Amino acid sequence: MASATRSERLNAAAGQQVQRVRDFVDDTEPAALIVVTLIAVSLLTAFVGFLAVSNLTVLPFLLFVAATGYGWARHQEETALILTLTMTVSTLLILGLIIVFIFRESIPVIQYETATVFGVRVPGLRMFLQPNWDAVSPPIRYSMVPMIHGTLLVTVIATAVAGPLGVAAALFLSEIAPAVVREFVKPGVEILAGIPSIVYGFIGFTILSPWASDQFQTTGQGSYLFVGIVVGLMALPTVVSVAEDALSSVPESMKSGSLAVGTTDWQTMTSITLPAAFSGVSAAVLLGVGRAIGETMAATVMLRGVPRLTEPLVNVFYGQETLTSLIARNYGEADGLQMDALFVAGVILFITVLVISIGAQYIEWRMRSKLGGEA
Amino acid sequence: MSDDTDRNGRVSRRTFIATTGVAGVAGLAGCGGQSGGGGSGGGGGSEGDGGSNPTETDAGGSVETESSDSGGMSTALLNAEGSSTVYPISNTGSSYWNSNAPPSDGEYWGSNSESTVPGWEQLGEPDMLLADYFAQKFGFEPTEQRSSPPFPTTVGLSHSGTGCEAVTEGLVDIGNSSGPITAELDWSEEKAQSTVVDNVVGRDGQPVVVSKDVIDAGVTELTGEQVRAIYQDEITNWSQIEGVDYDQEIYAIGRAEGSGTDTSFRLNMLGGADAAMPGVDTRFGQNQQVAQAVSQNEGAIAYMALAFTSETVVPVAINFEGTVYEPDRDAENTIFDSDYPLNRDLHMYTLIEEDNPNGGGYDAREAAFINMFLNEFGQTVFVEGNNYIPLPTSDLRSMKEKVSAIATEDLIMP
Repeated sequence: MASATRSERLNAAAGQQVQRVRDFVDDTEPAALIVVTLIAVSLLTAFVGFLAVSNLTVLPFLLFVAATGYGWARHQEETALILTLTMTVSTLLILGLIIVFIFRESIPVIQYETATVFGVRVPGLRMFLQPNWDAVSPPIRYSMVPMIHGTLLVTVIATAVAGPLGVAAALFLSEIAPAVVREFVKPGVEILAGIPSIVYGFIGFTILSPWASDQFQTTGQGSYLFVGIVVGLMALPTVVSVAEDALSSVPESMKSGSLAVGTTDWQTMTSITLPAAFSGVSAAVLLGVGRAIGETMAATVMLRGVPRLTEPLVNVFYGQETLTSLIARNYGEADGLQMDALFVAGVILFITVLVISIGAQYIEWRMRSKLGGEA
Repeated sequence: MSDDTDRNGRVSRRTFIATTGVAGVAGLAGCGGQSGGGGSGGGGGSEGDGGSNPTETDAGGSVETESSDSGGMSTALLNAEGSSTVYPISNTGSSYWNSNAPPSDGEYWGSNSESTVPGWEQLGEPDMLLADYFAQKFGFEPTEQRSSPPFPTTVGLSHSGTGCEAVTEGLVDIGNSSGPITAELDWSEEKAQSTVVDNVVGRDGQPVVVSKDVIDAGVTELTGEQVRAIYQDEITNWSQIEGVDYDQEIYAIGRAEGSGTDTSFRLNMLGGADAAMPGVDTRFGQNQQVAQAVSQNEGAIAYMALAFTSETVVPVAINFEGTVYEPDRDAENTIFDSDYPLNRDLHMYTLIEEDNPNGGGYDAREAAFINMFLNEFGQTVFVEGNNYIPLPTSDLRSMKEKVSAIATEDLIMP
């Protein structure tokens, strides 16, 4: 029943939009309408020219600038409207083309890594069936398994660091700390998010990794454990900030009600605040995970850069390569299929992060619809 | 399998390097690990030079003929062109020359209270401007004016082959090449010797280094075979090397997969451009990272530019088929030699011409400019400063003898 209502609502909304466009055309004076059309068409032509690498691209672009200038002076309202619209469309278009590009670039190596399973040839499958990466000496193989394994280990460790620490800090800031402390600490934590990742990586490479190599008596430096810890610390500000927002958005009335029936502060937190904000807190952790997966600089300088699985698989004291560090380390020297293989790593990252951020947004949306109520 | 790399019709640099390597060009270290704008700038450079150089040289030639009558010196623009690998050495030299820094500068030439330029003291602390000092040794009048050298110099960027061609056709005074002219232009050894003078100013290569604890454990020399075995996972502990009592896993550091440095190492040490390297524990793209990793880990071995060696990152002697190449500049066979399999010479060719003094390979400008590279100062600042390998003492002496033929005073050999 609910879905039927939703589709009806969508239909109605679409109809309304069409009506709005009609109204806009009816209400606008013809001169403004011409200017607005000129802006849109010239920008579109410039875009097409840009894609076609035409020398004449500059002409429609100049026309666009001129039309915008004129429109801004004479019909500001309509020009602003069309400008914001075209900017939004361009943003989406550019992102879309980037996605198409990385997929297209990865096609040759996907064809190269075709494997036959039960008599069916599956392109790209061999990249996931065997763990051997070697771009130089035969047999040349571009397996993604070592990098997926590395990314997975780093992400799990980073989550284990950022999750508990971040949620605890958020709980303290939101529920326990006096207002003054919150006012100072929360912006402070958010500033931490702005520290460039190479700073963490540099500390990791020069101090943490050699120390870990000494302590755990590994051959040389570079371990998933410490990359995970460093990346976890980097993701911490994001987790704290988002989780704190979620916790403090729990309506005061719910907490007061709980306290009124005689629970302690701690009982209120564990049985009311945290469950109510659970989806928001999960979204915070998921965002942190997204950051951990995408983290590049720290991983690149701290890892060993030799794609292979660790022995045994859960051995986190050796750190080989993650999807991001593979790209960062090899883009300068790679060519041919090796370059295409880097794009495959990009595609895998893209899909993973896409799934995670959609998941986080879905959870956040659910939280809002659950707690926002009809208010 | 390497055919697959070419499937898309793109040019595979690796395959290219491998093929040229087989064709006999020794030591294919690309651009010594700092490839960058070199390749892309090449086309434009050679084009531009093609257009402007003939006029320059013509002018230079006519001035020279005229002035030789009057007993004066040609002060026309000295131009060089060629390999992107030699370019950093040549171009830094040219920049220093053109700025003609005074001896009070301290950073580029001479000495002041804050710093002293390396090698300046060995030259006898000359109280002259940089280019003035080197030029007057070949009879030029000092200008005693900074930014105004006795004659200006410029360096163009193209390719080794283009540089060799340009110098033989007289388009430029100096042809920079990272390969021998015999290989670049397919000449016989006799033809090369009768046409050009081969001025070797430095070497490009990757010495093998180990960490300090390995040196302390008594490893000062490895055989080529042992290095190969280490990188191919046949030797994994230092105690497996004969005569070494040091129970420490080997931490083998390699370079970015498929880079010029990586390919050259595989070719010269492991027996083929596509030889497998299962023993490598970690890979770094830059010399600085390699040096840092060697110094902060135990049992490390690596290959990298000589300029990054230190007390904790020590080059070792390598024994290739009975010849021991020592990391000491004064030894009989050194890792600075051109015979050392990981090295190749960097050349600045000059043309043998009738017009030159004694019909030799230099005019005074060429000799003065090239002489600047052939001493402690030139080797440290221009060669080592650009991460290349300086010439060992014996090579430096024989190079010096070539240019001293037309010097007007004794060239100090530190």
